[in-house]
Amino acid sequence: MTSDTTTTTGSTRTDGVPDRATPTAGVSGGQNRQVTPPEEQYATELAFLAAHDSGPRPPGWLLTPRAVVTFVMGSAGEALGLPKTARPGAGVPRRLVIEQKFVGERALVERCVVTLAGERGLLLVGEPGTAKSMLSELLSAAVCGTSGLTVQGTAGTTEDQLKYGWNYALLLAQGPTEQALVPSPVLTAMTRGAVARVEEVTRCLPEVQDALVSLLSERRIAVPELAGAEGAQVHAAPGFTLIATANLRDKGVSEMSAALKRRFNFETVGPIGDMDAETALVRRQSRAAVERAGAAYQVDEAVLEALVTAFRDLRDGRSAEGWEVERPSTVMSTAEAVSVAGSLGLATAYFPGDRDVLSLLPGHLLGVVRKDDPADAARLLGYWDGPVRRRAEQGSATWRALWELRAVLES
Amino acid sequence: MIRSTTRDGATARTSPATDAPPGTEVSPAGAPPGRAAGPTSPEAAVAALAATGPGLPFLIGVRHHAPSLAAALPALLDAAAPDVLLVELPAEFQPWLGWLAHEETEAPVALAAVPADGTGAAGERGPAFYPFADFSPELVALRWAARNGVPAVACDLPLADRTWVRGGPDTPGPGPTPAGDGHGLSAALRSRLTGRDGDDLWDRLVEAPAPGSTPEALRRAALLTGWALRYEAEATGGVDGGDLVREDCMRAHVAEALASGRRPAVVVGAFHTPALLPSAAGAAGAPTSPAPWGQATSAAPREQNRGGGAAGAGSAEACTVSLIPYTYPLLDSRSGYPAGIRDPEWQQAVLEAAGSPSALHETLIRTAVRVCTALRELGHPYGPADAREVVRVAGDLARLRELPAPGRGEFLEAVQTVLGRGETYGTGRAVAQALERVLVGARTGRPVPAAPRSGLGPAVEAETSALSLPGPEDAHERTPRDLRLDPARSTLDGRRELLLRRLTVCGIPYAKEQAVTGAAGSEGLTTRWQVGWTPATAAMLTAAGARGVTPAQAAEGVLRRRHATERAEGGPTAAQVVRGLTEATECGLPSLADERLTELAVVLPSSGTLPEILTGLDLLDRIRAGHLPGPAAPDAASAAGTSPVPGATEDPAGPASPAASARAARIAHAAELLTSAAVRQVDGLTGSEDPEDARALLELAQRADRVGGIRLTAALVRLAADGTPLIAAAAGAVRVLTGHEEAEAFGVRVASWVDGAVDSTSRATLTARLIGVLTVAGPLLTTGSGALDPLLHRVVELDDAAFLARLPALRGGFDTLSPAARDRLLDTVEERLGERVDSLDADDPAALAARTAADLSARELLTGLGLPVPSPAHDDRFASRPDRLAAPPPPTTRASLTPTPATGADASAVPVPARVAAGAARTLAPSDRWLLVLGRRPDRLPSSAARLATALDELYGEGRGEGSRGGMPGPGQGGGRRGGREASFPGVREWSEELAALFGPGVREEVLAAAAATGRQDVLTEIDPAAAAPSVELLRTVLRYAGGLPEARLAALRPLVRRLVDELTRQLATRLRPALTGTMLARPTRRPGGRLDLARTLRANLATARRTADGTVQVIPEKPVFRSRAGRSADWRLIIVTDVSGSMEASTIWSALTASVLAGVPALSTHFLAFSTEVVDLTGHVHDPLSLLLEVSVGGGTHIAAGMRHARGLITVPTRTLVVVISDFEEGAPLGGLLAEVRTLVATGAHVLGCASLDDAGRPRYSTGVAGQLVAAGMPVAALSPLELARWIGEKTA
Repeated sequence: MTSDTTTTTGSTRTDGVPDRATPTAGVSGGQNRQVTPPEEQYATELAFLAAHDSGPRPPGWLLTPRAVVTFVMGSAGEALGLPKTARPGAGVPRRLVIEQKFVGERALVERCVVTLAGERGLLLVGEPGTAKSMLSELLSAAVCGTSGLTVQGTAGTTEDQLKYGWNYALLLAQGPTEQALVPSPVLTAMTRGAVARVEEVTRCLPEVQDALVSLLSERRIAVPELAGAEGAQVHAAPGFTLIATANLRDKGVSEMSAALKRRFNFETVGPIGDMDAETALVRRQSRAAVERAGAAYQVDEAVLEALVTAFRDLRDGRSAEGWEVERPSTVMSTAEAVSVAGSLGLATAYFPGDRDVLSLLPGHLLGVVRKDDPADAARLLGYWDGPVRRRAEQGSATWRALWELRAVLES
Repeated sequence: MIRSTTRDGATARTSPATDAPPGTEVSPAGAPPGRAAGPTSPEAAVAALAATGPGLPFLIGVRHHAPSLAAALPALLDAAAPDVLLVELPAEFQPWLGWLAHEETEAPVALAAVPADGTGAAGERGPAFYPFADFSPELVALRWAARNGVPAVACDLPLADRTWVRGGPDTPGPGPTPAGDGHGLSAALRSRLTGRDGDDLWDRLVEAPAPGSTPEALRRAALLTGWALRYEAEATGGVDGGDLVREDCMRAHVAEALASGRRPAVVVGAFHTPALLPSAAGAAGAPTSPAPWGQATSAAPREQNRGGGAAGAGSAEACTVSLIPYTYPLLDSRSGYPAGIRDPEWQQAVLEAAGSPSALHETLIRTAVRVCTALRELGHPYGPADAREVVRVAGDLARLRELPAPGRGEFLEAVQTVLGRGETYGTGRAVAQALERVLVGARTGRPVPAAPRSGLGPAVEAETSALSLPGPEDAHERTPRDLRLDPARSTLDGRRELLLRRLTVCGIPYAKEQAVTGAAGSEGLTTRWQVGWTPATAAMLTAAGARGVTPAQAAEGVLRRRHATERAEGGPTAAQVVRGLTEATECGLPSLADERLTELAVVLPSSGTLPEILTGLDLLDRIRAGHLPGPAAPDAASAAGTSPVPGATEDPAGPASPAASARAARIAHAAELLTSAAVRQVDGLTGSEDPEDARALLELAQRADRVGGIRLTAALVRLAADGTPLIAAAAGAVRVLTGHEEAEAFGVRVASWVDGAVDSTSRATLTARLIGVLTVAGPLLTTGSGALDPLLHRVVELDDAAFLARLPALRGGFDTLSPAARDRLLDTVEERLGERVDSLDADDPAALAARTAADLSARELLTGLGLPVPSPAHDDRFASRPDRLAAPPPPTTRASLTPTPATGADASAVPVPARVAAGAARTLAPSDRWLLVLGRRPDRLPSSAARLATALDELYGEGRGEGSRGGMPGPGQGGGRRGGREASFPGVREWSEELAALFGPGVREEVLAAAAATGRQDVLTEIDPAAAAPSVELLRTVLRYAGGLPEARLAALRPLVRRLVDELTRQLATRLRPALTGTMLARPTRRPGGRLDLARTLRANLATARRTADGTVQVIPEKPVFRSRAGRSADWRLIIVTDVSGSMEASTIWSALTASVLAGVPALSTHFLAFSTEVVDLTGHVHDPLSLLLEVSVGGGTHIAAGMRHARGLITVPTRTLVVVISDFEEGAPLGGLLAEVRTLVATGAHVLGCASLDDAGRPRYSTGVAGQLVAAGMPVAALSPLELARWIGEKTA
């Protein structure tokens, strides 16, 4: 009917916290989805960690803060063992290696967890494609067992989507009753003491963003329509908090008000610092994407390395060798690198033998770079004339092949 | 076991660098070679190190600054009760230990040792520098020893030892371990202990768990850390050779103490402790055997080379030791002084907490509150709630990491998370400032007054006497001595120069530099100084003493302090970096110069303007060429030491030293970066009207050509197509010079400009274009025949009227060249013309005869009519220069037509040459035309043409640059006529009349305007208000000088300005109004955002009502209706912030005019701010453009941030405010401030727009680098015409 209802269905889907004792249910449900939410994908790990660390937990938390950090950062390849007294549910192994899910500084994750443990709002800022949303999903899944209490911020987001809306048919039929009230994901999180997520909070209009101010400071929402009734005040249960993400370099963002900023702790998520880690991440994720499509992943290491190198060079404005590179205005995020690697993988899978994978790379790079500023294409060409040529001259076969493909960029 | 370790030890010692790959050594069995009899596990190692008992030293591994350990140290020493205390300090400090530990000495103080072998070595070695604070374990130990009467011994290697040449003392601990080595033990520990990258192992292992633990546990933790670091160092490439030698010395001291039956307590760097066990001594063999020496030399061959004779001399002599006061800001490791620590005030607080967790918690709370207070003082709203959250987060982080109490790291993380708000600029910077204020503190120390005099004063006195410069004994000299130094040739002069530069930088009144100009205007290689020792010199030396004990160190301190200040203010700016690098190299401070060089490569490309970048490039050239003592100094000194032949210093030093070649590579790299950055700046020149920019373009093109600039070509094409006339022509000429365009084609284009100059605008364009071309390529015209020929033809072939109309414009263009260059050009032209005229005449003697006959008959006719005949003048000239006889005034083509000679001769006979022009003939000889165009040798002109020359010379004079002085005085070529010329124009009126008579009224206005532009204020009154065409250029000219006029003169000028302004405003308003009409309409919003409008919903959905089973009526609302937001009020605020710095005149006028038009729009309230380095609010004048323009005075620097800050103060409803900044974005203040201001402004929600220029063409001249960063900060930047600006405003307010 209106946009309200879409949000409603979005939140009702996640109304039931998935039963962590039966992780298989999530897996079977995930088969015909494009993306499996982390609480289902890692249900086993979550159940295991809950049993593994039985220390004190902040109110409303399913895991201890330390276990949340371990969940996000992994156990560094070591198999953790359950204590003898633990009685985990069915399907949870006694020993388990926790996979690393977020590539970045451990201290950053620790700070995020501590912020959440203090029931304070957490705002993850950073350039697009730095896995802010993924981190917020992981954190909320680990803390309260669901990452689905989400509001996606857009210019069209209204206050209803952050507070509550009405089922208008019911409202007209019965007047304002609690049944006619449609809670927003945030309100649901408040009543359940869970973690609500607001994606791209800066895309909301400032006046809409400010709806969060009173919510975060007073920890309750007044429903004046229900005045006199019991539900006139909805109070936040212990454990309720909010993770918001915001991009800094995107266009069309509105600034946050100072009042709202004061109610958040800020964490800046940067691009991945380590080349090897980034290459590994790109490989893993693009392989997963291609294999999900049922194809074999055949992008070789040299191509991936060239791809990641080019992305890093253009992102940093400085090549790996320290030569200057002119930075395009487009954000060269790891996420984009993954999608390019995925496209390359699909191209080789579906059009085998057509062309060398490497020959597709310049075209894809151009597609990433040339978004809004026409000068960006010239900058990419400059990158080719500079570092790519020099590397080719230094005898690297991959780069020589790329240098020979310069004509692709000149169109 | 013993056998294998000995062998391992031997290999590690003799060839650590060439050992097997580190990976093979990591296995715990073989890795720690020789040390502590090879304990295989950390536990065993620590047990061995911490063991106490007879025959064993009591080892205390420390870091130079370690508050927790310092707090525990007295208890440790009390428990151990040693007979003697050994401290890791060079032996030279032994006599000073008493003064250091004296109870009247207040920390922080520093011990400094300078090798007493003169200045040459000091520059490369640097003095050894040991700062002490209350939290320095060494100082605590020494104080304990003094209190308890235990003798203290400085057990480190004497500084005089040549081993020290490799560098000053390092803080044992984090220094030598390369982070992220992958396999290192510390790397493993690090990732396990905290997630922070680049964390400090000592902090994690010793300081963080210290609270609440016993002193002995602390000692063991420290020993473990030292052992771990050493283990890793040995695994990754061996311990530094110098360290091994020093450890031998320390071990000898320990052995000696033990041998004499005394039990020593040893306070040394934790890193060294494993080497001090008696077992280690046994494994290492004889401590003074030649092996370590050989090792030292083999590991450091290049230092040996570099050190050369200087180090050899150093070992023979002693050091000068000074005890100087110190301050916490200097102790902070970010100050750049050696051996510092981060945040000394915090460390002091930790020391005072003395390891008690509750006291530490109190400290944490106090510090958090103080940070918030400091932030409030800086104007940011932070309160107790924020402080509470900081404490909470820090505490929880510590708990999560299982630490007994939060340390500095946790505190900083918490502050960053809670207070930083994700902004690097703005809030982030304020937080950093507040942190610095609170955590660094301002504590100052004081040595005991009775301590012997030492420090900078004696050092300088020694140096001056060594260099035979005036010293204190020459204080009686009244006049300062004059010195001319040639540092490039003489080593002595080089050292003198260095000393003088350093003292100057320190602000010590001793030497004054005098200006020197080199031959032919080039940069001088020698320097001139006035040097004198005054009482003020001595006083200032004392004051500067806290900064260091040698001139080099003090200078470095001053420069580093300045550097830090720049950084604190958000800088450094490009200009500051260039200056910093210049000073650092002049003062011979290689490490600082290196830092500045790095900075240069970062700052200049991003924020420097083109001239600044070129200055930077120039500086790099000078450094590379060795004109500055700077980084090349050590090489020069060592080379001078080996080969005393002056002048030959460069060659042997160059290839020999790898450090020098590395530096040369870095300089080349930086130069390359700057060049490519400069190329990017080229687009920003599009709107430039400054010849300097054209020159910069040429210089840049030559450089970029050398390194193979690729994008420059495209940029030049763009510039040649879109630029202002001046810069477009310059770009074209540059393209010819760099070989991208044919000279001939370009020449044709140049000639076509002359053709096209038909009205006043196009003539002004011609002048500008010629200036552009000639600035860049003056010599091109004299040498490249192709480029000159078309222009030559054109000037010669134009008929007189056309030529005269263009003459002022041509003259104005060629005035760019220096007189000497014009002379050379004239020679070329005459050479060409000579050939040409000769050939013309030679081809047809018959025609020549016919012409002459016609001339003669005409003269007879004239004489018959009684009209004056001008022939005598011609005859004079021809008589004096018989070679010119062949060139009679009327050239062939015309003269051959029989009816014309009469009119031509008639016209030439009339004294007013204007009418000559009207006669449509070419009476002016080609060479005379060029004499007029170039404004040279007026004596060779015929008298009629000489009047033209005189009238123009009144404006242009002799010109500037090379040759301008030669022509002025004396009986030179123009001297005689000059006097007469001045007499000919007693006032502007006469000149003006003469101009009108010679060139006609239209051209007269142009010449007068040009005269006004060059500063002739008196001509303004001659400009006719009614006749003047309203143009921004004229208005600009008038306004530029209106400010300097007295009110009486201004009154006369007002009608002119009023007319110009009214006309321009009317034109502009006609165009702008339609674009702004949208301003008054409010657009209804259709988003279903508001409340449900129940009444309307019911009305709209009555059709769907139906009765339910129980009889009630139910409405099914298929079409809900919402109440939209209340209509927005139509009141917008427009703030125009205009840069009125020097280069922005045209935009200033346009913005003032635009502002006054916009002020007439009802829905807008318009504010007008003008800023240069100060901000003036001219909102009161905005309705009256005339007074607005008269109020604005153009000139001065640029401080955009100040303008924007003022604009921010005017904002009441940010979402309904438009801020338009009109500037060239060449910010003079640090860029950080500007970016912060922009972010703040954008953060308020106001609509911000940057205009790189505001004029009709929309051609910007701006710093592209800065503009790019502003765009990133959220302010779009565009070059707009007023119409486009109005459209933007219309869109935003619609």
